[in-house]
Amino acid sequence: MDAPAETMGYMLAGYGVIYGLMLIYFVSLVIRWRNLRQDEQTLEELDKEKTT
Amino acid sequence: MKAIPRALLVVDAAAFLMLVAASVMVFAYAPIERVMGPVQKVFYFHVAAGWVGMLAFFAAVVAGVAYLISKKPIWDLVGVGSIEIGIVFMLINIITGSIWARPIWNTWWTWDPRLTTATIMELVYAAYLMLRSGIDEPERRARFGAVYAIIGFISVPLTFLSIRIFRTIHPVVVGGNDPSVDGSFSMTPAMAQTFAFSLVTFSVLFVSLLWHRIRLGQLAEKVERLKLKLVQ
Amino acid sequence: MTLTPFLKAMSAVIWKDLAAELRSRELLSAMLVFALLVIFTFNFALELNAQERSNVTAGVLWVTFTFAGTLGLNRSLAVEKDRGCLDGLLLAPVDRTAIYFGKTAANLIFMLVVAAIVLPVYSILYNTNLFLPGLLLVILLGSEGYMAVGTLLSAMSVQTRTRDILLPILLFPVILPALIAAVKASSGFLNAIPMEEIQPWLNLLLVYDVVFTAAAFMVFEFVVEE
Repeated sequence: MDAPAETMGYMLAGYGVIYGLMLIYFVSLVIRWRNLRQDEQTLEELDKEKTT
Repeated sequence: MKAIPRALLVVDAAAFLMLVAASVMVFAYAPIERVMGPVQKVFYFHVAAGWVGMLAFFAAVVAGVAYLISKKPIWDLVGVGSIEIGIVFMLINIITGSIWARPIWNTWWTWDPRLTTATIMELVYAAYLMLRSGIDEPERRARFGAVYAIIGFISVPLTFLSIRIFRTIHPVVVGGNDPSVDGSFSMTPAMAQTFAFSLVTFSVLFVSLLWHRIRLGQLAEKVERLKLKLVQ
Repeated sequence: MTLTPFLKAMSAVIWKDLAAELRSRELLSAMLVFALLVIFTFNFALELNAQERSNVTAGVLWVTFTFAGTLGLNRSLAVEKDRGCLDGLLLAPVDRTAIYFGKTAANLIFMLVVAAIVLPVYSILYNTNLFLPGLLLVILLGSEGYMAVGTLLSAMSVQTRTRDILLPILLFPVILPALIAAVKASSGFLNAIPMEEIQPWLNLLLVYDVVFTAAAFMVFEFVVEE
């Protein structure tokens, strides 16, 4: 029986894509969250200044 | 913004651990397929990603119907969050499908029903986001999003069917010089276990990501409210 | 729901559109000029002999209809919005679905008028007879499905900032099954393929029409509420 095909490179590329895209999405969530938190804090400070 | 709820932390931990475990199973436990070699292992996460893509669409439709009935904004967040996650995982599915096709059929694209339908679903997702980005009022944006999610969802099985019929009547010989290679393989128990575990892992991952995405949306809404309050 | 006021409302909408179009003829001329342009371009682009042409005729026809249809849909709903007709219609005490069916029927009639002109033109230019009853049936079924979904989606796209550009983006992924079925069925009739092979396509087209017309009219009110 023949040996299996030499496709390791493709497998690595495939998993690179899988982990890579998941990571990118995860990072995008983190960045968006951080930005919004900053906005929230800035706005709350401004609001406090307004009412004092 | 409220701290992360306990339940979500549990889901996060579970998702992370299961992803690690699934990866170990794929690389160390599942055997190498005797004809296709290592590239076959892409199959486990490829199908799991496609599964999440479909799960996401289903969630978006349920959310859409729920929004149209109740008009509660939380459902809109579920909808847009699901579609966003769906786009990512469907893209994973499409690209890995292409990467798998290349060594097996000697072509980057196969026009087979599943790959083609996945791409069209991706286009519907993208159209959904473009629709939303063209609307400024949140209420209308949520309403139209819900409607399009429903229409899009109905079209997907019909699209799959149409390509299926096309392939039955006109079986296309796709590239490749070895007619015996058709990309199918029989699964050993280890493979089946890895496959099943991957599906469950990705489902838990979906829940985790969606929950976080909903929280993100709630924070964004709060920021909008603060902005409006400030300009009064 | 009593039927007569519903039908009255629906026919009122249809007559309004047809009468408006008869007076201005903007819609039809745009669709027609476009359709003829496509046919001529394909002729020079594809330079086919009679045999090869029979394979692509169905595709060329449906690409023509699809794009001309988009033009018509954009114009049809844009006019409503700009002239405030849509608001007027919505103020009237009629069932929203009557408006939906009326608009869809009017749009369908426009599409069929375009087909009625494209078919003879194509037949003459290429010396083929396109007036086969099977083909005419497919055009009717395909156009109905197209307009059922198109009317709903254009009602949405016309209310966005991006408008005209958005409609094809929303529409094309969703009508793909109908388009595939229509092209394959048309091609089948044109090449006199046995009926059993055409049947699955006709069935698919029918299912598509029924499912989407039902879905569209159920959600239409959510699209036009204020």
